[in-house]
Amino acid sequence: MDWASFLQSLANGILIAGLYAAVTLGLTLVLGVMGIVNFAHGELVMLGAYSTFWLFTLLGIDPMLSIPMSGLILFFIGLPIYRFTIRPILKDPPLNQLLLTLGISIFLQNLAMILWKADSRAVITSYSGMSLHLGMVHVGLTRLVTFLIAVTLTIFLILFLYKARPGRAMRAVSENNTASWLIGINVQKTYLLAFGVASGLAGASGALVSTIMYTFPMVGFKLSLKAFCILILGGLGNIPGALFGSLILGLTESFVGTYAPEGSGWAEGISFMLIMVILIIKPTGLAGTRRE
Amino acid sequence: MNRSFPWKTVFLLVALAIFMIFYPKWVGSYFLHLTVAAFLTMILSSSWDILARTGQVSVGQAGLFGIGAYTAALLFQWIHLQPVLGMLAGAILAMGVATLLGYLTLRLRGIYFSITTIAFSEALSVIWLMTPSVTGGAMGVSSPPLFGGNREHAYYLILVALALVIFVVWLIESSRLNLAFTAIRENEDVANVMGINPTRYKILAFMISAFFTGFAGGFYSHYNTYIIPHEVFGLGISIGCLVMPIFGGLYTITGPIIGTIVIKVIEEYLRVTISYGHQIAYGLILVVVVLFMPEGLVGLWRRRILPLFNRDQG
Repeated sequence: MDWASFLQSLANGILIAGLYAAVTLGLTLVLGVMGIVNFAHGELVMLGAYSTFWLFTLLGIDPMLSIPMSGLILFFIGLPIYRFTIRPILKDPPLNQLLLTLGISIFLQNLAMILWKADSRAVITSYSGMSLHLGMVHVGLTRLVTFLIAVTLTIFLILFLYKARPGRAMRAVSENNTASWLIGINVQKTYLLAFGVASGLAGASGALVSTIMYTFPMVGFKLSLKAFCILILGGLGNIPGALFGSLILGLTESFVGTYAPEGSGWAEGISFMLIMVILIIKPTGLAGTRRE
Repeated sequence: MNRSFPWKTVFLLVALAIFMIFYPKWVGSYFLHLTVAAFLTMILSSSWDILARTGQVSVGQAGLFGIGAYTAALLFQWIHLQPVLGMLAGAILAMGVATLLGYLTLRLRGIYFSITTIAFSEALSVIWLMTPSVTGGAMGVSSPPLFGGNREHAYYLILVALALVIFVVWLIESSRLNLAFTAIRENEDVANVMGINPTRYKILAFMISAFFTGFAGGFYSHYNTYIIPHEVFGLGISIGCLVMPIFGGLYTITGPIIGTIVIKVIEEYLRVTISYGHQIAYGLILVVVVLFMPEGLVGLWRRRILPLFNRDQG
């Protein structure tokens, strides 16, 4: 076996897994706290990617610096989306929630198409082409930084959920919202904040997406499907599961890309095939917690 | 309705049938084309609604549509199979695939099934792109114009297919199947206890739905003369299939028809005004319907408009 290409695929898989994890975090948060699968999450990521692209192209702001800005922009886009569309249907059947968030997703995709056309756009910085040599493995600088930021975001989210008061309130609400209400937690406010934070995370991960992938109106939909695959791999609504799922998907895509004939084309379809295979074998998802 | 012979309904149906038969004589070629496109969408939305009656939301009808489209196109390319037979072959193959897929995935509930159907159509799209020697790949497949480009004949074919779909929906609605479907939709566990095997009925609904969706795909490939994977397996078709009936009114015969007419008019207007992203209307309609008019246009009519007239008469 050729060790260099094996290690290179391993490294690529882990690096892309970091990005996938960042994209999935917000989806996991909304699902865990309010039990809604937000089909529009990918589109929020897409908007984050566009905002980074425009901040870079029009104002020359470095994409790494615009991560907090994209996060903040999406946080404030997320709040009205929650208030006016998600909140009224919190108690509806899951299929209504699916149709509503799917509607938001289609709306945002086409809005992006109208505003910015279907062109693929790339953020190319002075350091885009640089890479590090670690033994036999080449690691793109942008990919490495992206990975490190994704890891940082994850750590921040975990700290927020376990140490900060509003984060702990989110965990309480996700366990039992009536009991949380009884002990004086403002459930509505917690939901609002959770959706805002999830949107902010989408914006931040969108900034990362813009640096290593092309930005185009459908990029969010593609990432949504990957995120669903990760959720199904890792179990719904928990963060360690999402990290595990991201790693599996990232590595599978990377190894298929390297070793299968015409692998890079097939790698695009891995997530879809994994979704089908896992749900067929184990209908409650790989980690197997049941949530109706 | 009482048990006596429904003269009024029959009279209306006969009048409608006569109108539809002479319709191509009265309208221009462009309008006829729009009508054919609308009928095709009505078939798709009515057949999506059949599955929806069991409480399953498919977001991957494009997978079945694409299978039908490619079966018809490729069979013509390989063995010059007569187009209408090709469409039937596409319908049967789509039904077969749906049976298998349904058998494997219809145990899944709600959102899991929906996600699987999206994954299914997207996976097919990747497979098609990656096996160009069989499927034509990204370049697609073309076939000669249907009936030598005679639009009137195409119109009559799709009219018959649509009439058949509506007849099947009517049969379902007036048979015990409707009760089983509704029971499963309302509460699957209770339905199970009452002796209805939910998975079996869901598969049956999916099969019927897939048959007509596959046929529509086959018709599309010959009528349009050219298909590519990104389009026939695309999200746009899957979304179209569900927006029309949801807007018109779920679980009704007229809902998908009315929904299609209204949305097609909006879409045609938007297509002229903005070059990209006219499907923005689909997204907006989904949001508005879920939030404000859960029973769609038919529900709005029954609840808000009809009482106004009744009050006037009384």
